[in-house]
Amino acid sequence: MQTHFGPGRISKDGFLGEDSRHIHDIIQEDQRILSSLGWTSERIADRLQFFIDEGKKGLEGKVSVGKCIVCVRWDRGMVPCPFNEPGLHPKIVATVFSPAQKREIRYSQLSVHLIRRHSFFGGKGSVFRLEPKTVLEITDIRFESNERKSG
Amino acid sequence: MMDEIILTVAVLGGINAVLSVILVIAERFFANYGECTITINQDKTLKVTGGSSLLSALNSQKIFLPSACGGRGTCAYCKCKITEGAGTVLPTESALLSQQELQDRVRLACQVKVKSDLSIQISEALFQIKEFEAEVVLLKDLTYDIKLLRLHLLRPEEIHFTPGQYIQLQNKPYPKVREIVSRAYSIASPNDETKNIDLMIRLVPEGICTTWVHHHLQEGERVIFTGPMGNFYLREGTGEIIMVAGGSGMAPMVSLLSELARIKSQRKITYFFGAVSKKDLFYVEEMNRFEKEIPHFTFVPALSQPDPDDVWDGERGLITTPLDAYLKKMDTPKAQGYLCGSPGMLNACIKTMNNNGITSDRIFYDPFA
Repeated sequence: MQTHFGPGRISKDGFLGEDSRHIHDIIQEDQRILSSLGWTSERIADRLQFFIDEGKKGLEGKVSVGKCIVCVRWDRGMVPCPFNEPGLHPKIVATVFSPAQKREIRYSQLSVHLIRRHSFFGGKGSVFRLEPKTVLEITDIRFESNERKSG
Repeated sequence: MMDEIILTVAVLGGINAVLSVILVIAERFFANYGECTITINQDKTLKVTGGSSLLSALNSQKIFLPSACGGRGTCAYCKCKITEGAGTVLPTESALLSQQELQDRVRLACQVKVKSDLSIQISEALFQIKEFEAEVVLLKDLTYDIKLLRLHLLRPEEIHFTPGQYIQLQNKPYPKVREIVSRAYSIASPNDETKNIDLMIRLVPEGICTTWVHHHLQEGERVIFTGPMGNFYLREGTGEIIMVAGGSGMAPMVSLLSELARIKSQRKITYFFGAVSKKDLFYVEEMNRFEKEIPHFTFVPALSQPDPDDVWDGERGLITTPLDAYLKKMDTPKAQGYLCGSPGMLNACIKTMNNNGITSDRIFYDPFA
């Protein structure tokens, strides 16, 4: 299975970056960080999905969502899950920028699935790697009542 | 102690080696399906060696079903009806097949292994799909993320297609990427130009094939593609043609407009092109040329978020804004919609058209989304 995470299989650069750890070790470490922050993978995925859903409305233009500026790009085509789970994920990439912090996160629709279903945030140095703490810091807006369970 | 470790490693290694040999032998004898017959449309028969996927077996006989995922069972383009010999539907297929398709015995050719004789039904149009070798004669930037790729056909030397159709381009391996995939791109040139085709290719984040085109492919290189494919083409009618596109969705529209110019169409045609800012706008001069060549053609570009230094007196807002305003003023019962662009734009435009009386049966787009 680990080969599906490598470069050129599902995506150009793959999902592991320069991280030489086993996937299970990557997951375990991020789970430990999440627990220390008092969050779950599902709640993070909800938050990320919310920004995708709001950003889609801009048809690739920038959309203000709370204190963030979101830009969602949606290309034609679908990608499979590297964990071999049945189902396909649209080629959507979201950029969530915090003007106050002058920082941004960038992730795909597949990232949301990988976090929700597999608690996998990507290997260190991978293109769509998300640091759980950074996600919470950048996307800190009050939208819990709008959270969705899709993704 | 050390002796025991070495002995254990040696024994385990030996067991592994024996098991590997058994597996190879088993595959040779037990997974040997011999020669199988594939009957197509109760008419043509092919003899193939069993064991490969139906998609590969057909490809080996130069019958190309559409496929954009390299046989991974993700794009679902290779659907075909298998009336005999397919076995049970795999979990990798079921998510991509509707209830009706399952009842109609539609399967994904890339997931069905040829283990016995098969009877299949495919569209006669698929026999027209060929594999081409071509040379890159032009590769230039249209915008910061869209390139124009012109291919000169070498073998066969000519292609015959319907404006609006697409081809599937194969990448070559490049650093870090050893896998060969094929991706669908609409033809952007007129169909009376049979020796060259133009493609417009937008760089997709993390895209295997688009990265190859943008960062590795060079003029003078030879490439392989299959085609033509697709059911996006001009329909008969007398009502207005409403085109909407964004980004590289421009490609099939150029081909359609070339055809409308060639036949000197008298239909009213309005083409809405959505871009974020002026840096996303291209082919404006070509559109102005079409406005002179096609009697009732109007090009309506719209910028959703012009940059501060963009000089722009055209339409502003999401492409659905001028589209909605325009449709509200026109009589739509006979109008046809032709769309190409991102899935998000397609969804928004279909909704706008439906809300203004253009029913879905009169809205056309390629479903390779």
